[in-house]
Amino acid sequence: MAKLSELIANEDKRVLCLGNEAIARGAIEAGVQVFAAYPGTPSSEISMALNAAAPELGFYAEWSTNEKVAMEVAFAASISGIRAMTACKHVGLNVAADVFYSFMYMGCKGGFVTIVGDDPHCFSSQNEQDSRWLGISANFPIIEPSNPHEAKEFTKLAFEISEQFEIPMLLRSTTRISHARADIQFNKYETNFREGEFEKTTQFKCLPAIARANHPKLLEKIETIKQWIPESGLTVVEECSDNKFGIITSGISYAYVKDALKELNLEVSILKLGMVSPLDEASIIKFSKDKDNIIFIEEVDPYLEDRISALLIQNNLNPKIHGKCSGITKRYHELNSRIVAEALSKTIGGKISSVTEIEKAVEETKEFIPFRPPLFCAGCQHRAAFYELSKVVRKNNGIFSSDIGCYSLDPWVTDTIVCMGASIGMANGFARVIKDKPIFAIIGDSTFFHTGLPALANAVYHKANFNVLILDNRMTAMTGFQPNPTESIPIEEVVKGMGVEYIVEFDPYDFENGKKTIEEALKHEGPTVIIMRKICANEWWRTQRRKGEKIEVYSIDPEICIACGTCIVQYQCPAISWSLDTNTKGKRYSVIDPSMCTGCSVCSQICPVKAISKVE
Amino acid sequence: MNEEYKMVLVGVGGQGILTISDVIAIAAQEKGLHVLGSEVHGMAQKGGSVITNLKIGKRLYSPTIPIGSCKALVGLEENETLRYIKFLEPGGIVITSKTMLYPVGWKKDKSAADIAHQKIEENLAQFKANIIRIDAEKLALEAGLALTQNIVLLGALSQIEGFPLSDEELKDALKVRVPSKYLDQNLRAFELGIEAVKNKT
Repeated sequence: MAKLSELIANEDKRVLCLGNEAIARGAIEAGVQVFAAYPGTPSSEISMALNAAAPELGFYAEWSTNEKVAMEVAFAASISGIRAMTACKHVGLNVAADVFYSFMYMGCKGGFVTIVGDDPHCFSSQNEQDSRWLGISANFPIIEPSNPHEAKEFTKLAFEISEQFEIPMLLRSTTRISHARADIQFNKYETNFREGEFEKTTQFKCLPAIARANHPKLLEKIETIKQWIPESGLTVVEECSDNKFGIITSGISYAYVKDALKELNLEVSILKLGMVSPLDEASIIKFSKDKDNIIFIEEVDPYLEDRISALLIQNNLNPKIHGKCSGITKRYHELNSRIVAEALSKTIGGKISSVTEIEKAVEETKEFIPFRPPLFCAGCQHRAAFYELSKVVRKNNGIFSSDIGCYSLDPWVTDTIVCMGASIGMANGFARVIKDKPIFAIIGDSTFFHTGLPALANAVYHKANFNVLILDNRMTAMTGFQPNPTESIPIEEVVKGMGVEYIVEFDPYDFENGKKTIEEALKHEGPTVIIMRKICANEWWRTQRRKGEKIEVYSIDPEICIACGTCIVQYQCPAISWSLDTNTKGKRYSVIDPSMCTGCSVCSQICPVKAISKVE
Repeated sequence: MNEEYKMVLVGVGGQGILTISDVIAIAAQEKGLHVLGSEVHGMAQKGGSVITNLKIGKRLYSPTIPIGSCKALVGLEENETLRYIKFLEPGGIVITSKTMLYPVGWKKDKSAADIAHQKIEENLAQFKANIIRIDAEKLALEAGLALTQNIVLLGALSQIEGFPLSDEELKDALKVRVPSKYLDQNLRAFELGIEAVKNKT
């Protein structure tokens, strides 16, 4: 991450930073005054940067409880004439969908920009949904940068377009832009923060008669933007003399096209669309008119391909279409310059370097490459809690409806993971149809405040019999240790206020007590709430180290250890591994890496021969 | 330089991959070159497999490096070097630490570690690469700080033919990036990396 001082320095300078930090800087240069967001990979660094910058520069930023609330915070600021922004991951935008579908009808006053981080390839997401379709279904104008530099410039531009047309703007990034690192030109900026002014009109009341009148107005606005795009500079045409082929692309795919053409040593005309909704129809038609073949290069869905194919038919143009329809690229996973080079060589020709020998070597060596899946960190309180849970109710003897967070990594019991808050929501349903097994909803503190609350109210109201295990590690750890309401709102008070009668809390580092607490809860009619409370071990460990505090670590006596694997194979703490040498009995034993041990002590409690103890 | 220089840096989370890619990026920027890299966040926690793509040049487009196309690969952990060596172009250079860190798969299979150690040279040799293996752990300890294994390899990288940044340029960047109280150990680690390559060639 770039330093905060660099990120906010009011000077013209090239700074090494992430694409997401470039977006944050773009917002600062545009004078964003209100920013609200819920974290989600690959968007979190935008919000981390703006939350850090806000107190220094004197604007408002918050970590909201969910994406819907965040968008509403920003929306209210915007219609009070203030520049406002929100940022989320693609699935976060679903949570906010109820807001923007109607918000679009009303329009905005102060520039309003939503940044969405799509995640082709599911690097850290549950699906690969393509936010560009919101351009059609919600009439969201969408701009799409193709590199981190454009990400910053487009963010600034989005505020201007939003104010010029009084319309909320969507900037779509993808993981490879958000998490690209580059030297970005920062520019001087002015801040002109002021009080909001809310003008009383009926425009912002989405009643049927008003909405009916607003819908055609919105479509007119979109039409006006469409006419304006050619003069915006958002569409870039790179023409070459040969008219046989033309490539239409946008976003990161443009970057892959450029590198692929270099690899193939080809010159082909390219139409790069900076705005993907509405489409710059005039430029597209002009570009396609004299081409025999149009090649679409885009990630995941055939969004440009389908929309532009229809446009070409409507305008009596009939070039041959190459894209997802002809299978030159796939409808899933991300692209890279080689995949694009292969796609282009299939249609245009040109030679790509062979990788057959490399693939053969990969095939011959792959069995020796060990798998390194993401795991709970050493000392993770979630590991302890799940281990205790799995000892009380075996996987096959219960239903375990889990949720989105670090605890998604549970290797022992989890049955379902769908979306934020679904753990409790679905447990409501399991409780109606599964009668012979205990049902658990497992949810973290941040997710509980995000979308768990309505689902729990439903359970109390309808007397659904299940157990809610709330894993309160005091922060939103998975996305980078962000704060959330658990800091100041006690979860036990919340659930008590909702009418939950059986509420217990436990420390997962006390193995026997953890088991007993869960066992006891099972004797009660649900919904019961079991709160695991322990600060995120990773964050705690880092803070201790930063402060120079001593961490009391554990070690294993090689002569007592019987190499049963309880701590290594079953408990799977990454700080513990097999020794490379042997003990006096000629046997291997387990060893704890003192540089990783957080001193949680759980391994010492579960060791059947008591070989593990604190290093004195 | 006219061409872009592509490299891949790999290892295990916590080994300092991001630090050395930062140092390279700072040095490149200082030299008036552009930098474009790619890293994946979110699920890559401590102990996970980590890969960074880095391009240096005057005109850069895509942030990722496909199979068979980078000029140099730096590996801080030898299993990870083997996992990602496919990104190297034929005849490219690998600088790898001999360090092997315990992956979860070995916990169930106690003999897997032995096999991995025995077979690593043979496995890496399947790829047509110029491989330089360095005992980075030993050299880092010699430099006085176990955490400088990444810097040892950075020193080694500065010596390879065609690498666009000189050792002096990298050392200047190191001074910017590394905490001043550990600078001496880092500079020593860098020098030991340089010597290690000179002794091999």
